[in-house]
Amino acid sequence: MQYAIAIYVMKLYEFEAIELFHAEDIPVPAYALASNPEEAMGKAVEIGMPVVIKAQVFTGGRYLAGGVRVAKSPDEVISVTRQILELSIGGLPVDRVIIVRKVEVAQEYYLGITVDGYYGAPVAILSLEGGVSINRIAQERPEVLVSKRISISKGFTSSDARRMCREAGLRDKDFTELSNLICSLYNVFRKNDALLAEINPLVRTVDGNYMAVDAKVEIDDSSMYRHKDLDINIQDHISNSLERKAREIGVSYVELDGDIAIIASGAGLAMASMDIIARKMRPANFLETGGGITADLLYKVMDLVLQKSGIRALFINIYGGINPIHEGAKGVVKYMQEHNITIPVVAKALGNHQEETWEIFEQHGVHVVKEVSTEKGVELLAHLLGEEA
Amino acid sequence: MSILIDKATRVLVQGITGRTGRTQTKWMLNYGTNIVAGVTPGKGGEVVEGIPVFNTVEEAIAKTGAEASVFFIPPPAVKEAAIETIDAGIKLIVVVTEHIPVHDVMEIREYAGDSDAQIIGPTSPGVITVGQTKMGIMPGNMFTPGRIGVISRSGTLSYEISINLAMARLGQSTVVGIGADPVVFASVPELLRLFEKDKDTDLVVIIGEVGGIQEEKAAEFIDRWMTKPVVAYIAGLNAPEGKKMGHAGAIIQGDGRGTPQSKVAAFREVGVDVAKYPTDVVTLAQKHLNLNNK
Repeated sequence: MQYAIAIYVMKLYEFEAIELFHAEDIPVPAYALASNPEEAMGKAVEIGMPVVIKAQVFTGGRYLAGGVRVAKSPDEVISVTRQILELSIGGLPVDRVIIVRKVEVAQEYYLGITVDGYYGAPVAILSLEGGVSINRIAQERPEVLVSKRISISKGFTSSDARRMCREAGLRDKDFTELSNLICSLYNVFRKNDALLAEINPLVRTVDGNYMAVDAKVEIDDSSMYRHKDLDINIQDHISNSLERKAREIGVSYVELDGDIAIIASGAGLAMASMDIIARKMRPANFLETGGGITADLLYKVMDLVLQKSGIRALFINIYGGINPIHEGAKGVVKYMQEHNITIPVVAKALGNHQEETWEIFEQHGVHVVKEVSTEKGVELLAHLLGEEA
Repeated sequence: MSILIDKATRVLVQGITGRTGRTQTKWMLNYGTNIVAGVTPGKGGEVVEGIPVFNTVEEAIAKTGAEASVFFIPPPAVKEAAIETIDAGIKLIVVVTEHIPVHDVMEIREYAGDSDAQIIGPTSPGVITVGQTKMGIMPGNMFTPGRIGVISRSGTLSYEISINLAMARLGQSTVVGIGADPVVFASVPELLRLFEKDKDTDLVVIIGEVGGIQEEKAAEFIDRWMTKPVVAYIAGLNAPEGKKMGHAGAIIQGDGRGTPQSKVAAFREVGVDVAKYPTDVVTLAQKHLNLNNK
């Protein structure tokens, strides 16, 4: 379980990931995309029965939510597709499904390539047991997982892949196909600046072939500037509308369920602010400006964090290091004036240009905290709301 | 000299002609940093804040004896610049740039691993040897000279905790921001090792946050090697579960690592006090330093 609040990963839809697999000749069952029951039926007939119909959402839990089902006849394709398209999975409406040829499974394996953050290298993981229950296997019997750290300059060689297969316990004659497949998955990972490329389950069919019956790829958001070739609309991959807006502005935002809005420069400071506010009150969001503060940016950020309904107060916590906070302050007060903001706004602003920043805030009714701890700022905010900190 | 840099260190600024490069060069000069050169390819011959600009790192070293470099370079250009800088023989590179592709960071890190260059970052606020010199964007007025070393994954929290320590007359020797990208160049244990050896540091503060296993690795290092006291704060105890990196991410993290709870537990197990809120670091540091004096 990784906790990381910064938004730096773009999860692809399964059908997008399948296209990347195709490009590297990773075997996948015949499939087609459909957005209504009749279209699904037509595609299913072309592909051949039975088929699996899979909701296209980029959240987990599709199986449990009934978003992945088998259909054996054209009529069944229509009724199942209709039901899936009426689902909402993890709060997301399903507007597309893929129709996949059902394969005869002999064994389910797990194969994934990801980034080992601490050691700073790609790592490949193979397990001949597990499939969809890989998490439980990893915890209960980690010895069945074979993992190998990869030199990013040398790349992943077929001898590396063969060694993995051997260590995982495969018999000799099986090596070539699977080791090629591991190398291909590494190519998907490397060529697309992925942070994760995963096949779970990787299926060995009854006739002995390997097939990726699921495809998961997550791409590093910071690399998107060099992947214009990927026909992917980033905004289409963010489910929360305020988080979409944040992506447009270029800040990190996560909506929470409280009513105290937060604007902070720096993820650590934003999280510390949340921790302190959460002692007695409830934070409405995580917001991290990054190092690009301008008057215009904070004006837009104000508009973003105050859009959530029921906000009772705003806490601004910014430092003048790389950021010209006096410029940022101008954007904040401009927004307050134009939108007649009457909720309490408390600002703690320190560092370069702090005095100038305080003056701008004070002239426009922002409560300025000149003490140097976030705790003091939150105390003032609580006091203004007539509560305990 | 505290760790990494002192007032004699001859500093190169790469990307000096950009908006951030110019502004930060001025702040660093004001602080006392011995900046000897700037580099921006194609802008050789210009002068920024009195500092000569060169086209290449090699030329800058030949003409000025630059020995450490700070990057204000746009993300797409960082990989090439880092390789050039390592090849030219610079021993310390501080990468302030944010949003560098993770694959580039992995490539640079592997390349640097074959050299003796130390790289800090990316998304680093920099390194400041307080009262002497700084490489990076840290606002100088947040720091006071003293004998506490600070290692932080968060830039702005390192400012906040440093000024709160200073209010209690606990100044800092060197403060290092390692950044909190998915992959960073310098790890917390590497910096702990430097502070352990440093005669100007009595206690180390680690400012961690959710995600990754830096804190867990730091706890292992402390258990084996540290004789100096260490106190910690971890931001994000109330963070919602964020972006999970699929099953593979969970597998390499190991069961339950990376959560705030596992970090707190790892530290406590090796005798490191963990502050509940940022300013509690001050009380914990006082407690340990008093014990040491007895």
